[in-house]
Amino acid sequence: MQWIASGFLFVRGTTAYHRLDPRVRLAISLSIFSISLVSQSIIFLSAMIAITVGIVVFAKIVRRFAKSMVFTAIISLIAFGLNYYFAPASPHQAVVFGIRLFAVISSTSLFFMTTTPDELEQVMKWLHLPPDFIMIFVIAIRFVPVLMLDALQIMDAQRARGLEFDKGNFIKRLRNMIPVIIPLIAVALNRSLDLAEAMDSRAYGATKRPTSLYKLSLAKRDYFTLAILVAGLGIGIYLTLFVSIF
Amino acid sequence: MQALKKVDDLTNVVVSFDAVDFSHPNGTVALRDVSLKIERSELVAILGTNGAGKSTLVRHINGLLKPTHGKVAVFGQDTRSATSAQLSRQVGIVFQNPNNQLFAQSVRKEIEFGLRNFGLPDNVIEDRIKWALDTFSLGDYAERSPIELSGGEKKRLCIALVLAWDPSVLILDEPTVGQDSEQKEKLADIIRELISERKNVILVTHDVEFIWPLQPRSVLMANGSIIADGPAQQVLARPDIAEKSSVFVPQLVDFSIIHGWSSPFPPTPEAAERKLRGV
Amino acid sequence: MESIIPSSFDDDFSKNLSKSDVVRIQNLTFQYYGSTSPVLKDVNLNVAEKEIVLIVGHSGSGKSTLLRAINGLIPHQHNGEYTGDVVVDGLSVSRTNMSELALRVGYIFQNPENQIFMFSVERDVGFGLENLGLQREEIRERVNWAMGLLKIQDLALRAPHELSDGQKQRVAIAGVIAMRPKILILDEPTSLLDPFTARELVDLVLKIREDLGMTVLIVEHRLDLVAKISDRMVVMDGGRVVLEGSPRDVLSKADVSRFGVTVPAIVNLAKRLGLPGKDLPIDPPELETRLRTSRLS
Repeated sequence: MQWIASGFLFVRGTTAYHRLDPRVRLAISLSIFSISLVSQSIIFLSAMIAITVGIVVFAKIVRRFAKSMVFTAIISLIAFGLNYYFAPASPHQAVVFGIRLFAVISSTSLFFMTTTPDELEQVMKWLHLPPDFIMIFVIAIRFVPVLMLDALQIMDAQRARGLEFDKGNFIKRLRNMIPVIIPLIAVALNRSLDLAEAMDSRAYGATKRPTSLYKLSLAKRDYFTLAILVAGLGIGIYLTLFVSIF
Repeated sequence: MQALKKVDDLTNVVVSFDAVDFSHPNGTVALRDVSLKIERSELVAILGTNGAGKSTLVRHINGLLKPTHGKVAVFGQDTRSATSAQLSRQVGIVFQNPNNQLFAQSVRKEIEFGLRNFGLPDNVIEDRIKWALDTFSLGDYAERSPIELSGGEKKRLCIALVLAWDPSVLILDEPTVGQDSEQKEKLADIIRELISERKNVILVTHDVEFIWPLQPRSVLMANGSIIADGPAQQVLARPDIAEKSSVFVPQLVDFSIIHGWSSPFPPTPEAAERKLRGV
Repeated sequence: MESIIPSSFDDDFSKNLSKSDVVRIQNLTFQYYGSTSPVLKDVNLNVAEKEIVLIVGHSGSGKSTLLRAINGLIPHQHNGEYTGDVVVDGLSVSRTNMSELALRVGYIFQNPENQIFMFSVERDVGFGLENLGLQREEIRERVNWAMGLLKIQDLALRAPHELSDGQKQRVAIAGVIAMRPKILILDEPTSLLDPFTARELVDLVLKIREDLGMTVLIVEHRLDLVAKISDRMVVMDGGRVVLEGSPRDVLSKADVSRFGVTVPAIVNLAKRLGLPGKDLPIDPPELETRLRTSRLS
């Protein structure tokens, strides 16, 4: 399961791309995402993917990206296949659909793979998203490794009661997950009850707009990158409107 | 579920560790060159800091972990040639957190779970469930959901359900954490009972005050190695060694040393009183 | 058959009543909705400024519930029938919201994992301050101060899952102290710690009282660690306060083991030897000194 999730996991990278303000990285991914969403041009879409891959190389996250893109590629192929199956008269559309899906998912992955949860939380705060919503997100990510560990411990505890996870047919194996899932839910619920108490005890909700220890501020490289982004968008729009092949 | 090979009455060595190393998948070394032999009806306490390797060590005994180098054998069987579920038939572990395993609709079904997994016949299962409910005063809760029980009751249930399948070795991981004095008393009684039945009990704990009256064989660990192994009178009574594994000497030992007594140190306040009064 | 000692047989205790009390609990009775009996029954308790109060008793005796009634989780987060009054630093708990109370009462829960929210230590220490809407500079200052006090500056950028239990607990304590409450509540703080780390924690608690002037309430089973530093011990049973006084007095005059309290071996021994109560020895050096002076051995 981990390799699917690893497309959206965080790692503190050290490349220049990682050092950009997360809002700029968001803008970049968002731009690629939006263009991919509206474009009908296979060339444009391919260019979007190429740009994404280029940034991936620059940010030195090729391995992780590749791992999760296998899954995405499969989905895109299925999308293409389904589209083609139901509308065999327009293969162009089917290809567009498939590539678009890939472009959209990969640009999203790019953002999440180069952004730490801390930065994500700061961007959300900057966007003035409701504090409760941000908190849900923060706690969810914070406790993913914790719950994974809980699950492993629960599995060990049930093995110690004679439960064999690796034996039996598919149905049996599925049923064997019940003694894992139920305690896991119980443990997760207990954790959330504890968290609720701790949050209130630390004045959560005291003000409508909590302040922040960290501050996002744009540096020269951010302005420079934004300039390139705007220029790129400008060229893109020009090409779309005025050049026929796009 | 095939049974383990029949427990040989002539085998006296129940658990053996032979130059065992263990590293986690991410590379951290958790056990270094651990060698240990535990014989029938021994009571063994394993002490050390969090992270010293105590929990890792005992998880090798029921096969949850397999050594990276060296060999671990239970009743003569190499743990690598059996699954953890198979080994658990003879080696029961009661983990620290009961919430990590309770899931059934009733206390009765909870006890039944392990018994079914080990393939015991129906009439035996019935008997063992009854035994567990009676022995651990859980009869009133038999049809209730385990979730409704208090923390102490859940812990009791966890011990009950493991002893239900009558393993020859019982491992208790930090059994006294959060327990009040009555619960600890009952636990000490259970431990003594099991030893008198020629079973083995292995306690992973920091609670020297709890184990001192039981006078177990004491194994001290630090940084993945065993730094001391011997009778409680020798091992727990050495402040210098105790410090290395982040354990204090029991109060009665501390007092004995200050008072000028030499080994053997009194295991209980009653014994200390008699010694002071010259009885 | 031992009789239950009345609440204030201790002279020092009555003196405390006249000092400024940071906590006044009067006739507090509380029953959770849907529960068949009250978990707190007519509890009366006063805590003076800078006192270290140890609360002990069976699991289920109401100890943790009492703590929650002091910081406001009861009645604000947990609903039930609530009668009586709890006044903390002059404020009525039932009539003051949790954020206000959080400025006066800090609560360290039993499980350190479930009270760390953020992805980095320093961020978590600042969590409460961010919630209070303090300015960034002030947050930074307080966070650095709290981390310094708890000696966790080196861990500032680490993620919670990289920390040991003892470290996580320090982070939780730092986060609470950064809010500069008057009262610090610790709910079974040593249960997950090894003895050495537990002792460090106890020293820390003392330091917090000395250097910061905080009042401390601890629920703890390990008497051998905390009895010595506590000014007062409160024994609870079935939702009531049954015994109260200095730890030595309570331990010498009553058999607290029937209330689920684990009596330290030395105390047990001292009582068997019939050593009189006022300065009951509670650790080995004290017993030895006592024996020498009374020439028993």
